[in-house]
Amino acid sequence: MQSQTNLLQGTLDLLILKALGAGELHGLGISRRIEQITHGTFLVKPGSLFPALHRMEDAGWLASDWGESENNRRARFYRLTKAGRRQLGAETEQWTKVALAMANALKAT
Amino acid sequence: MTHRPRFRSWLRAALRNLLHKQQVEHRLDAEVRAYVDLLTDERIAAGMNPAEARRTALRDCGGIEQVKQAVRDRRAGAALEAFAQDLRYAFRQLRRSPAFAALAILTLAIGIGANTAIFSFVNSVLLRPLPYPSANRLTILYSGLGYSNRAPFSSFELYHFRQRTKQFDQVAGIWVTNGPLPGEGDAEQVKVADTTSNFLPLVCTRPALGRFFGPEDDLPDAPNVIILSHAVWVRRFGSDSAIIGKLVRFRRNKATVVGVLPASFRLLFPDDASVPPNPDVYESIPVGAWDPQGPAFLHVIGRLRNGSTPALARDEADNIARQINALDGRDAMANFRFYLFPLQADDVREVRRTLLLLFGGVALVLLIGCANIANLLMARGRQRLRETTIRAALGASRSRLVRQLLTESLLLAALGAIAAVAIGWAAIHAILAARPPSFVNLPDITLDARVLVFTAAIALATSMLFSLAPVVALRRLDLTRNLKDSGRQSGWRRRHFSSVLVSAEVALAFVLLLATGLLTRTFINILHLDPGFHAPNAVTFRISVPGYAPLHQLQHNLAALPGVQSVAAISHLPLDDAGNWYDYYWKEGASAEEQNTVMADHRSILPGFFSTIGATLIQGRDFTEADDADHQHVAIIDDVLAHQLWPNADPIGQKLNLSDSPKGFYQFQRDWAVVIGVVRHVQYHSLTAIVRPQIYVPYPLAPRPSMSFILRTAAADTNLAATIRQQVASVSRDMPITRLEPLSTLVDRAHADSRFASLLATLLSSLALLLACIGIYGVLSYSVAQRTMEIGIRLGLGAQRSRVMKMILKDGLAWVLPGLAAGFLLSLLVTPLLARLLFGVEPGSPANYALILAVVLCVSVLAAWLPARRAMKIDPLTALRYE
Repeated sequence: MQSQTNLLQGTLDLLILKALGAGELHGLGISRRIEQITHGTFLVKPGSLFPALHRMEDAGWLASDWGESENNRRARFYRLTKAGRRQLGAETEQWTKVALAMANALKAT
Repeated sequence: MTHRPRFRSWLRAALRNLLHKQQVEHRLDAEVRAYVDLLTDERIAAGMNPAEARRTALRDCGGIEQVKQAVRDRRAGAALEAFAQDLRYAFRQLRRSPAFAALAILTLAIGIGANTAIFSFVNSVLLRPLPYPSANRLTILYSGLGYSNRAPFSSFELYHFRQRTKQFDQVAGIWVTNGPLPGEGDAEQVKVADTTSNFLPLVCTRPALGRFFGPEDDLPDAPNVIILSHAVWVRRFGSDSAIIGKLVRFRRNKATVVGVLPASFRLLFPDDASVPPNPDVYESIPVGAWDPQGPAFLHVIGRLRNGSTPALARDEADNIARQINALDGRDAMANFRFYLFPLQADDVREVRRTLLLLFGGVALVLLIGCANIANLLMARGRQRLRETTIRAALGASRSRLVRQLLTESLLLAALGAIAAVAIGWAAIHAILAARPPSFVNLPDITLDARVLVFTAAIALATSMLFSLAPVVALRRLDLTRNLKDSGRQSGWRRRHFSSVLVSAEVALAFVLLLATGLLTRTFINILHLDPGFHAPNAVTFRISVPGYAPLHQLQHNLAALPGVQSVAAISHLPLDDAGNWYDYYWKEGASAEEQNTVMADHRSILPGFFSTIGATLIQGRDFTEADDADHQHVAIIDDVLAHQLWPNADPIGQKLNLSDSPKGFYQFQRDWAVVIGVVRHVQYHSLTAIVRPQIYVPYPLAPRPSMSFILRTAAADTNLAATIRQQVASVSRDMPITRLEPLSTLVDRAHADSRFASLLATLLSSLALLLACIGIYGVLSYSVAQRTMEIGIRLGLGAQRSRVMKMILKDGLAWVLPGLAAGFLLSLLVTPLLARLLFGVEPGSPANYALILAVVLCVSVLAAWLPARRAMKIDPLTALRYE
């Protein structure tokens, strides 16, 4: 994963879950979606993306199937499972809490 | 943040990844390629030319293979897969060097196997509870006067102890003697156990058939009842399932069989309790307070009441002893006490030391084996240095290389452990077949789950131990230097390390050899001991005796046989395991205090015993047929007792208070007898220790229902068995005969423990020495191979061959000498532990040290000589072209 800012441990998982929240995407689609929703802060390279995708699928959070891309190429499409959706909820809540706490801490004088 | 994947989903994925590998790989490949295609499309759409787009897409994604490898490393089951890969690799490596693999596995198998075998004994004997109900509450009780705290109880003492104890819920006694085999058919003498009616339930869960004795069998008019051992039931009664309730012939009477014991049942008493493991018949005896000074013969065990403790029981026993002392007729027993030991602890008392020492011995062998394998692995590691270096240079991580090495070690250890279980099993059976006496009273020895876990654990520990050095070497891997050196190792550090291992092996082997030297010297000393009698050319047999007349007749008839020089009989043969007989004795005029200080074996004999067995009559005369109850009571004592009782006076003509039974079997009374002779001490109990002095009484004064005959023959090979049986049958049909064997057999049996110890020690130390030799040889040959070029140059420059040889020998000995020094220091710690097993040799015996030092040096020189000779024969021209 290449990034302007170093990613916190576990951030990639949450970003992937979030990217897939809106619907199924293939690998490059997920990359582009993360780029888009973080306004270009995170560029996820396949060397990080695919291990994460496979690991999360093994964990039961994602499911995947072959499908056709918009320009008629065969690609593997990922979507959230029920467990994945629960995980997204849990991680979002957790992250929000941490982010808020960090922001407050840094604001404190 | 919660990242815990669901385990079931992970497991499913792991199985899929491992089992459908091709499919998974195929999908991964297609997926990554699709990604690159999509990226290329994207760039073409943005206006790049197709070739350029493809090239940059490939570059930016970081390489298809690398991405795929990253996925493989992270997906479920990756660790397992890596392990499987390491394992496959390890197998291939071992197959590539079968000699190394065989040597390492064999070393491990022997080392671990020996440990497995000895641990099975330790487990069964020291760790597992005795195979008795409530084994942890069973206690063995002795009576004593402070001089000898291992005396049995008298009936009087047992009666009063039972009356008073609150800490024991059961107290039971047993006495094993000889008697006839019950039932019809040939008369035969077997071991008969007289037990109190509550004895068997303490040591046996339930009988195989029938019942145990009960309180009803103690009633004065109760019918005679017996319980059979499983063996007798099978042998004598053909496993008759309707045996219970049958009236069978037993002793001079009949008895009803009420029970049969299980086949596995054995009495596991201490070695010196005179309670053999396998009596053939049990009969119930009552316990009463009839004679305050009666003979002590009952070996007593008690079961602590639930919630009691050994300390409470000991306090109570002290109290009871005081109360018994105060009873009428017990005036001379001021020091009388009871001594209590847990049956389990007491049971293994003798064998514990032997076992723990053996355990130490096999551990040393395993350690030496470990050092050897470490050395082999190091040498191999150096041979494979180039391969390893290249793999590391190509990006294999150090941890992966270490993991691979550990996998290889683990594989070796696992293969070794499997072979070790087989070797251990064989070793257990070999040890049990040798059956040294101190191993007889042991519970069953088995390879149970605990032993297998132990084997696995030491295999694991061993593999970690012997891979320690190679792992350290691997961590220090210096890529640049190794690549430049073309994989040839240089510098002294590694060799230094191997030499430390060799020194350690020599040290451990030295200690084992020292111990072996001591044990073997002990065995030789015991072989040459004078037992106080002459064992060759004598035949013995045991017989049931109906009375004096047939006994006398038999002595007379046997003496008339051709080839027989003389014949006599005694109640207890030396070094036999018959139930023992001893009591307190005192001289005329002894104070009350002195009266119970001397204990002596009581032996009933026929005239001519001393000359027949070859004992030395020092003073006075032997018994004659006139020495009977109607004349002056007489006794012969041994020199040990003579010295104890009359250190400054002539014992002949002195009066001695002893218990005899002129009125018949077991009808004891105390009488005064005149000492008419002094004989040299005979080793009745062990060859090495004087356990008790002896008193001999003529048979008419001390009739016994069982006697042993001794026939002194002119030649060694006189075959008398048939003649003897014929003679016995002609005198009386009522005299069953048993254990017809040469007197020397009894002596051989007494040697067995020592023979066993020295044999086992010799075996272990030979192994150790062999392993140490292999170590010296291996390291030195390797070093010679490494230095071929150097040696070639030396020779080329004119060095003498003998000097080269000396150099290599010196190299080898430079590792042996520190090992010997370390071994010497170690031996100062270890050999004192052996003291109890030794006889006639000091643990620090300089002769032994000198001998073993010479052995180790000779063998080391031999091990170093072969590589040195090879070095000497190196051809300078070939050597310079080497590599």
